Amino acid sequence: MLGKIKMKIVVASLMAALITLMSQATLAYYSTVGKATNVVTSGNIQFIIHEMTDQGKEFPKEGVYIVPGSRVSKRVSIENDCEHPFYLRVKMVYGVDAQELSAEDCFKLEIDETYWELHDGWYYYKGIVNPGETTPNVFSHVEIVGSKVDNSYIGKTLTLTVKAQAVQSENNPITDGITYTASGWPAE
Amino acid sequence: MKKIITLLTVLVLVLSSVLPVYAADGKVTYSGNAGNFVFEPGSEHSLTDLFPNFKGIMPGDTLTQKITVKNDADNKVKVKIYIRSLGAHEDSVEFLSQLGLKVSKSEENEMAYMFDAAANETAQLTDWVCLGTLYSGGEVNLDVTLNVPTSLDNEFQNKIGYLDWEFMIEEFPIEEGDPKPPQTGDNSNMGLWFALMISSLAMLIVLLVWRKKDKEDEESAVKR
Repeated sequence: MLGKIKMKIVVASLMAALITLMSQATLAYYSTVGKATNVVTSGNIQFIIHEMTDQGKEFPKEGVYIVPGSRVSKRVSIENDCEHPFYLRVKMVYGVDAQELSAEDCFKLEIDETYWELHDGWYYYKGIVNPGETTPNVFSHVEIVGSKVDNSYIGKTLTLTVKAQAVQSENNPITDGITYTASGWPAE
Repeated sequence: MKKIITLLTVLVLVLSSVLPVYAADGKVTYSGNAGNFVFEPGSEHSLTDLFPNFKGIMPGDTLTQKITVKNDADNKVKVKIYIRSLGAHEDSVEFLSQLGLKVSKSEENEMAYMFDAAANETAQLTDWVCLGTLYSGGEVNLDVTLNVPTSLDNEFQNKIGYLDWEFMIEEFPIEEGDPKPPQTGDNSNMGLWFALMISSLAMLIVLLVWRKKDKEDEESAVKR
């Protein structure tokens, strides 16, 4: 008799445990949260101005000695050093002992107009400079005009600075292939 | 030689036209049992970066990013997946506020954006938005579009913007009436193949024993 009661209790306990487990299996749910840190980066435009001599060496930073009528070898080109193509313009700034000169004062340059077009004091490259590309030379020689450089220039330092600016060509349409019509040229 | 070169050229051309071009997609995978999400592909800036296409952006760009959210949990559960934006990190607000961001579910009308605001904001994704209920193997695709204005100034060159999104799942057991999960795995009768293997082995052993016995009989006959 006692055995039967024990058996009933055991069966009832087992059933209760089973029902509890089943109800938990029905109601239980997990939830979890995960965080993604997304990143947006912006590109840039970068270039290198190369100044070389006829011998393929870098033009000396300290400069060279000149006399009136000198013809100095100086090949200037610009290399695209970024991942984006760009339009390019260059400008030569002349000076003597830190004072600015006008272009005609002392120097004579032979700009290669096959590739460079003058507009508002800047020479615009007539095309797109793609990543890794280097432009043809802007000029390859600088002539010191003998008739302009008189005795008053003795012992002075003449300077020729090449300034360059670039603007992206992607999403930047131009008119009739004229690169100075591009948008976004920086202020001087 | 000429023929070989021609053949190789044709082969290269055919292969190059056949091989698919893979776009870089973002992927969010939930593996089940309240485990972690896996975010891919990540980047050098963040291991959980879902925006591989939004790198080196330039003024005027309009870029798109597909993100696949997948339930990889087993067949016994279904999950509800939610998304919300926590917005830009503090030092990224100025940069990301210049950019426009749109998010929509691929299968819906592309104009029905669940998010359409400046990239630094949380806007319509401030609170949890349910992406749907996914059964095992189910997925939902998000289309993210980034608009970079042409007026983006030079001061924003080489910037990095961080934008946090959170994903949440609620996991439920499959109930009666739910669609049957897709069949996965091998359907062949393994018992049958096993029985076949055992009987083949037994047959092989019997044959070897018979052969040995025959050889012994022949040898004893020669001795006599």
